[in-house]
Amino acid sequence: MNNDVFTFLVGGKAGEGVKKAGSVASHIFSSMGRHVFQMDDYMSLIRGGHNFSVISTAHRWISSHYMKANLVVNFDKRSCETHVNDIAENGIMIFNSDEQELENGIGIPLTSEAEKYPMKNLMFGVGAVAILAATIGFEKEEMNQIIKDEYPRGIENNIEFASTIYDIVYPDCGNKFFLEKGDRERPIITGNEAISLGAIAGGLDVYYGYPMTPASTILHTLAREAENFGLAVVHAESEIAVINMAIGSAFTGARAMVGTSGGGFALMTEGLSLAGITEAPVLIILSQRPGPATGVPTYTEQADLAFALSAGHGDFLRIVASPTTVREAYYLTAEMLDLVWKFQTPGILLTEKHLSESSMTVEIDLEKSKWAEPKMYKDGNYKRYQDKDDGISPMLFPPSKKIIKWNSYEHDELGITTEDAKKISFMHDKRNKKLETLIDYLKEQQIVKIIRGENNSNIFTYGSTYMSVLEALRCGSLNPTTVAPIYLNPLPIWELKEFKNQDNIVIEQSSTGQFTKLLKEKAGLNVRNTIKKYDGRPFDPLELSMKIKEVLE
Amino acid sequence: MEDLKTGAEITWCPGCGNFGIFTAIRNAIPILEEKGIKRENVVITAGIGCHAKIFDYLNLSGIYGLHGRNCSNSEGIKIANPDLKVINFSGDANGLAEGLTHTMFAAKRNQDITFILHNNSVYALTTGQFSPLAEKGWKGPSTPRGSYEEPFNPMSLMIEAGATFVARSFAGDIKHLTDIMVQGVEHEGFSFIEVLQPAVPYHKWAEYRERVEYLEKEPETYFEAIKAAKEKHKFTIGVFYRTTRPVYHKELYDDHNPVTQKISREIRLDKIRKFLSDK
Ligand SMILES: Cc1ncc(C[n+]2csc(CCOP(=O)(O)OP(=O)(O)O)c2C)c(N)n1
Ligand code: SF4
Ligand SMILES: [Mg+2]
Repeated sequence: MNNDVFTFLVGGKAGEGVKKAGSVASHIFSSMGRHVFQMDDYMSLIRGGHNFSVISTAHRWISSHYMKANLVVNFDKRSCETHVNDIAENGIMIFNSDEQELENGIGIPLTSEAEKYPMKNLMFGVGAVAILAATIGFEKEEMNQIIKDEYPRGIENNIEFASTIYDIVYPDCGNKFFLEKGDRERPIITGNEAISLGAIAGGLDVYYGYPMTPASTILHTLAREAENFGLAVVHAESEIAVINMAIGSAFTGARAMVGTSGGGFALMTEGLSLAGITEAPVLIILSQRPGPATGVPTYTEQADLAFALSAGHGDFLRIVASPTTVREAYYLTAEMLDLVWKFQTPGILLTEKHLSESSMTVEIDLEKSKWAEPKMYKDGNYKRYQDKDDGISPMLFPPSKKIIKWNSYEHDELGITTEDAKKISFMHDKRNKKLETLIDYLKEQQIVKIIRGENNSNIFTYGSTYMSVLEALRCGSLNPTTVAPIYLNPLPIWELKEFKNQDNIVIEQSSTGQFTKLLKEKAGLNVRNTIKKYDGRPFDPLELSMKIKEVLE
Repeated sequence: MEDLKTGAEITWCPGCGNFGIFTAIRNAIPILEEKGIKRENVVITAGIGCHAKIFDYLNLSGIYGLHGRNCSNSEGIKIANPDLKVINFSGDANGLAEGLTHTMFAAKRNQDITFILHNNSVYALTTGQFSPLAEKGWKGPSTPRGSYEEPFNPMSLMIEAGATFVARSFAGDIKHLTDIMVQGVEHEGFSFIEVLQPAVPYHKWAEYRERVEYLEKEPETYFEAIKAAKEKHKFTIGVFYRTTRPVYHKELYDDHNPVTQKISREIRLDKIRKFLSDK
């Protein structure tokens, strides 16, 4: 079915280097010129529990991990229990025989071998890499080089340990899997790295954040790169501070971005509304995890869509868009950062843990993303909120001899507070004009992904679920038309019109079907069925393909 | 001084202490200009409350923010373009109730901004509820039997939080207030200026005038400052604390300026290419 895909799964306790082993495996595959998708599943704790990484690789573009793995390496008992059903036909499972005895699978004494070394806790990951190297037929020298590069602490011990493990597994399953080499090596990045880089390519100057999974690694990435790119990156005291600082920075002409998840975004909503009335260009990255409230911090969901579309009190334009792939996250972040400046209104880039924290091989055309100067004041009296046909007032930044007033109260064109009936409705009308301008602009852009199929049914999806859907269709050899709007506000109804009365199926990760509701209400779409998943886990392509098949029939 | 007025209709009650603050800031700006601070580099922010109306009246650029949040706007301005001098107007509820965390953290970071706290000890604009600086027992519409809470001591609170210039002045002493404002803006670091600001529906000017006293000697050490802040009654005006400490934006990026020294697209793309090639 999906025999063009090879999947490696490694599981163990937090602190045992599971994720690191996963990313080393990904790099092994990418260095072979193959495409890679890595999903890390981890719990909200620092030591113990159960974590695992699944990496699927193929000779062609691959957009999801598969839960049925060809090679499963379990560091502990709990991993064996969790992943009994995750072994593919003809797959093998390697377990830690110091923890238990099992009939199926190959036991190796991981713990007792690791205990021979001072940093025994860091050895398991090295062991997993050695197992992978042996099973895919790497020579020892090749493996040693990888260990040297990836585990630079205690190199000699690591190599000795890897060699021991390699020798143990080789007789049973050495060279068991043949992985064909691909055309060229590609970088592997996470969605959050793509967002961070895209922002920089879109002219980012300042970033504010308050740690919250799954958005934190944007803060970490940008903090690490701040000096390199001349950015100011600040971990502030709360999300309320974060959004208000961003507005302050925007006032000076700085391109400001913030990032958070649902709870932090809820705290930002008053500031979002401030950005609406002051016409402050700020970009908010909202990376969703299951809610409500604290929900399930390290897992994925798409249940903040309705909230994002209407967040913040009062009438104002919020641009909302959601990237469908890691590569697109790069382009879209740059584009959104530019759009919020073009239209002087807040934007929300809506994504999920599944995109933020999964990694994949990407090919990015760096020349594609640009930033442009916003509409600037030229001459005459300066009025911050000057009425214009397109609703967009010219900008000016301090220091300037002209007076520039941004105001949270309703205001006149100068930015002075008003309670005057005429001026209130005038200013609403001025701001509202921006929606029409934006729609005209977006009509010229490609903002819906449509892949035409042969089936009579269409599949609608968005965000990272798009990647799961594409992979499911491929592995199930299904061929319906897929439609994924990238922009969710304004929703490109002009592009969706043709599908209105056709047979439509929606696939999303919300228990109440928020995306389905949006499509019905805004686009008048006839929806026959919605396939939902809301257990915090992304779709598995095989499972999803079976569900799609059922529904299509 | 007149050119520092926008001409917007002033809606403060006649006799409001905010007039004194408005006059003092308009005195202070030309003095600062003489000292080399360009007027166009001065940017103001205000929260929401009676105090904040000064935003509409003062002919300076800036942000009229949310209730309690303008301190974060001020910080964001300074972080993005450290060439700007930010003066942050706040009410006592705005800065010490809704916005307390931001005020404390701006002090902790030693952000190079000037924070002016209009202390009228009430929520004036919302009809006189007790505020973080109101005497215990204050009878307002939300505390008809008198408030149950002791007020904060803004001087010791801000010294503790990390402010590097902490002073109190009085809206009825324009000369003193002007002078303190000038010193506050000139000071490199977080300057916190509490201004005793009578609100006429709730207080009598005479009581203030009777009780206001000058701090005879500026404390020289941290402990002297805390001692003075704790021992002196709350109508004591003067500079309680002054020290030097690295300011936040310099800690963050030294002499860089994210807005005026933005790294070009070409260089950014080269660096992104490098980042990706290491991945
Ligand atoms: C989030 C929010 N909560 C409440 C209010 C209503 N509100 C406006 S001003 C104010 C209190 C003002 O008190 P203070 O900051 O001391 O200013 P003053 O009017 O005394 O100058 C309140 C509670 C608001 N505007 N926003
Ligand atoms: S209520 Fe008090 S603070 Fe407000 S304008 Fe009147 S006197 Fe001034
Ligand atoms: Mg007050």
